[in-house]
Amino acid sequence: MSANGSILSTVSTTKVFGGLLAVSDVSIDVAPKSIVSIIGPNGAGKTTFFNMLTGLYKPSAGRILLDGRDVTGTRPDLITAAGVARTFQNIRLFSTMTALENVMVGCHARMRAGLFGSILRTPSVRREESAVTEKGHEMLEYVGLRPDLHEQTAANLSYGDQRRVEIARALASEPKLLLLDEPTAGMNPQESQQLTDFMDQIRRERDLTILLIEHDMKVVMGVSEHIWVLDHGEKIAEGEPEEIRANDRVIEAYLGKPES
Amino acid sequence: MEAAGISADAALKPRASEVISEFISKYGLIAILIAFPAYYGIQDLIDDGNLTRLGNNLADGLSNGAIWALVALGYTLVYGIIELINFAHGEIFMIGAFSAFALWEPLGLHANTGTIGLILGLLVTLVAAMLVSGSLNVMIERVGYRPLRGAPKLAPLITAVGFSFILQNVGILWLGASQRAVPDLIHSQRELFDIFGVSISRGDLLAIAVTIPLVLLLTSFVAQSRLGKAMRATAQDPEAAKLMGINVDTTISLTFLLGGLLAGAAGLINTLYQTNVWYFQGFTAGLIAFTAAVMGGIGNLRGAVLGGLIIGCIQQISDNRIGNEWTPAVIFAYLVLIMVFRPQGLVGEETREAG
Amino acid sequence: MSTIAELRTRPWAKYILPAVILVAAALFPLFRPPLDGFMDDCILALAYIVMALGLNLVVGFAGLLDLGYVAFYAFGAMTVGWWASDFFTGAGGAEEGIHIGVSGFAATLPGIHVNFLIVVIGAIIVCALAGAIIGLPTLRLRGDYIAIVTLAFGEIIGRIFQNGDEITIFGDYKLSNGRQSISPIDAIDIPLLEPFDSALNLRPYYWTIFAMVLVVLFVNIRLRDSKLGRAWIALREDEVAAASMGVPLVKTKLLAYATGGAFGGMSGAFLGAYFSSVNANQFQFGFSIFILAMVILGGLGSIWGVVLGAVALAFVNNRLIPDVLDQGFVGEKLRDIGLDFSFTEISFGIFGFILVIMMVLRPEGLIPERRRQMELTEGIGETESVFEARV
Repeated sequence: MSANGSILSTVSTTKVFGGLLAVSDVSIDVAPKSIVSIIGPNGAGKTTFFNMLTGLYKPSAGRILLDGRDVTGTRPDLITAAGVARTFQNIRLFSTMTALENVMVGCHARMRAGLFGSILRTPSVRREESAVTEKGHEMLEYVGLRPDLHEQTAANLSYGDQRRVEIARALASEPKLLLLDEPTAGMNPQESQQLTDFMDQIRRERDLTILLIEHDMKVVMGVSEHIWVLDHGEKIAEGEPEEIRANDRVIEAYLGKPES
Repeated sequence: MEAAGISADAALKPRASEVISEFISKYGLIAILIAFPAYYGIQDLIDDGNLTRLGNNLADGLSNGAIWALVALGYTLVYGIIELINFAHGEIFMIGAFSAFALWEPLGLHANTGTIGLILGLLVTLVAAMLVSGSLNVMIERVGYRPLRGAPKLAPLITAVGFSFILQNVGILWLGASQRAVPDLIHSQRELFDIFGVSISRGDLLAIAVTIPLVLLLTSFVAQSRLGKAMRATAQDPEAAKLMGINVDTTISLTFLLGGLLAGAAGLINTLYQTNVWYFQGFTAGLIAFTAAVMGGIGNLRGAVLGGLIIGCIQQISDNRIGNEWTPAVIFAYLVLIMVFRPQGLVGEETREAG
Repeated sequence: MSTIAELRTRPWAKYILPAVILVAAALFPLFRPPLDGFMDDCILALAYIVMALGLNLVVGFAGLLDLGYVAFYAFGAMTVGWWASDFFTGAGGAEEGIHIGVSGFAATLPGIHVNFLIVVIGAIIVCALAGAIIGLPTLRLRGDYIAIVTLAFGEIIGRIFQNGDEITIFGDYKLSNGRQSISPIDAIDIPLLEPFDSALNLRPYYWTIFAMVLVVLFVNIRLRDSKLGRAWIALREDEVAAASMGVPLVKTKLLAYATGGAFGGMSGAFLGAYFSSVNANQFQFGFSIFILAMVILGGLGSIWGVVLGAVALAFVNNRLIPDVLDQGFVGEKLRDIGLDFSFTEISFGIFGFILVIMMVLRPEGLIPERRRQMELTEGIGETESVFEARV
């Protein structure tokens, strides 16, 4: 736990591409076991920010602290091992693998089998494989995937099921912090509500913190305990849903300046 | 919590580590390139007291390099437009050389042909070589790459390798498996003049004299003509180009045609210069020219020419100083170094990370 | 239900055909004379199977297009040339040499003579290291660049050995014999057995390489269904997602190169001992393509497909082209109409043709691997990375 008790802190995190300032001086603190959101118009830098949190981009300036540990610029697989998992805006499942295999890849960071162990199938490796297989099934059931679909190729699953598998895969690495990038994209209101309830459920049952990027205001306002608003790479507002809803700058960012 | 407060200006200044790695990347490569001739230059000064030997190396290197520049342009044009390494491009060059040579006897060209006849005859073979290579390149694209446009990149790359082998064997069947000496039509080694003791031969002059106009023609065509603009648009964004009414298929075929034309010309020049042909010359030429294209920055025309000239010099120095059995290893070692230090090449720009 | 249909439903049914084939292959030499041309072909085919399975691991499983696989053949063969011949005459004292685990004739010769089994282990280690080193520069590169860099390494290493008589190491020893062979290579001498003699009896050689094939098959099958195997597939499909799920990209890629290369080394060492000669002239790019063609023909990523591809091309190369086409019916007819060329001369053109035809008509190969088939025919799983994953 960091000095201020946050599970995730970013300090003036910035990302520059060539001459373009994609994320500028964004500092956030995320309380543990909370559900929080980052919102903002398109192009605001939200996914870029996420990518820095997961190690896909190295910040140009600033720091990222996970549970007090400085993970700025750490490789993505090490950040996953440290307890951060994510889903992607456009679902990035391994489409030629089955749903179960996808989730088993999610367990990679928690498995210990090495090259020789895998070749020789030592008893511990065998135990680990069957434990991971079982866990995979459990995860898929937990997210609501029908058992007969567990061994189905990911590419053949429906969009909604694919989203479920992605979440299962993320949960498989036993994260402390789950980053969801537009999880309700393409969902109808009922499905969005189901997902919102599910987020609450996993937060409780799995001791997780959830950080969302979202466009669906109903979901955001309904589930978030804290919201940050980005526009053109900068943090323009933060606070609880009511504050944000009434914030002039936020309204302006989304809707533009009122005609005078 | 620490005070935030990095202003936008400060944030835009690149970090120290980024500056250093960019520096190493660019100047590291340049340093490696210069180190090679510099080392031998210093040796020359010690041994001979002058740089004549190095100068000769460089003169020959630039002429060879001009030929590689033509071939490299073909690689870079194709890669720029469809992001495919046309592995068979070296063989296109070889077939161009073979086709040119094949016409010499029928046209009555030999070492003693009069100047006018020689020039006219060579122009005919030049055009023929260019057309053969150009159409062959177009055909390969049509048959081997177009059907695989949607497939993973692995697929057309393997097809390209396959075509390379098929064409090499065409070469074997055509003129046999050993190197074949050809008539020295332009007396290519005859010295024309010298600059500060560095000897410039007829072959050198030919290589430069034919390459420069072709390169200028090509660059102005790509920059200014409608088709050239279509090529650049397709290279940047094929989907958008299609929506703008550009026929992407035709544009791609045209690109292959241009690349082939240049390779065919290079084939003829090379034959006149080296006075021999060999089925295997395409493989070596291909890898050398590809190294040149990558060194310059793949997709970048100026880069391909620059890379060609540089590689020509490296090749010549290596042939002369280390031994030509080692030259391929030297050049490929440079290729690996480029990939390690600066895969985007000397002139190429780092692609913008999207997101 | 008929008996066969009933048998098909048993869980072990899928093992019947492979088991039958393996048993038949194991017993095969007993039905041939000890010195037999056909067995010679089969031994070569088995050696190529080992190589092709190695390359399949790199290209088929992990999706790293390695066009320089000949480098591992080179290292394997050179290892046996260095450590099981009198190439390093003078080592350990001019008349005595260094002997580890050898008996009989070889124990009396100068030079370094190490038991074949130890040499194989040495070749594996050398090639695993070489694989990792070759892989290093490719880590941040896109697919087509990986092909070029590996090709470049294959050429560099081939050239180094071809010109190795100009390089000296450890004082006056040459690195290799240049364009001349290192010969003879010690006979393979397995403990408890007589040293092999390829002039008398090919059967022990057959069983040795067959044992290697079994080992390599075993490793491939185990890895395919393991944590590492899944990591390779994930990495092949979508590097960025794989890294985000905790797959360490550098380590996973280097393991692919190292393991795949190790098999090449094993087979290279065997071939050096089998031919009793190691010649750097064989370390050509064409060999890399030969092995790649086997993998493509058989089916990228498909273990049994690759076995079939290797057997098929080995026979095309050793039998079909020289014997059937050249000497046989087709060659005669062609000579009758005045076309005088040798099919052997265009054997590489034929392999090129196979590559083109396969990619255009049936890219998934003869015995497709399920996932590759989806990728290659339906375009599934082709993720254009918007940004490169950090390694």
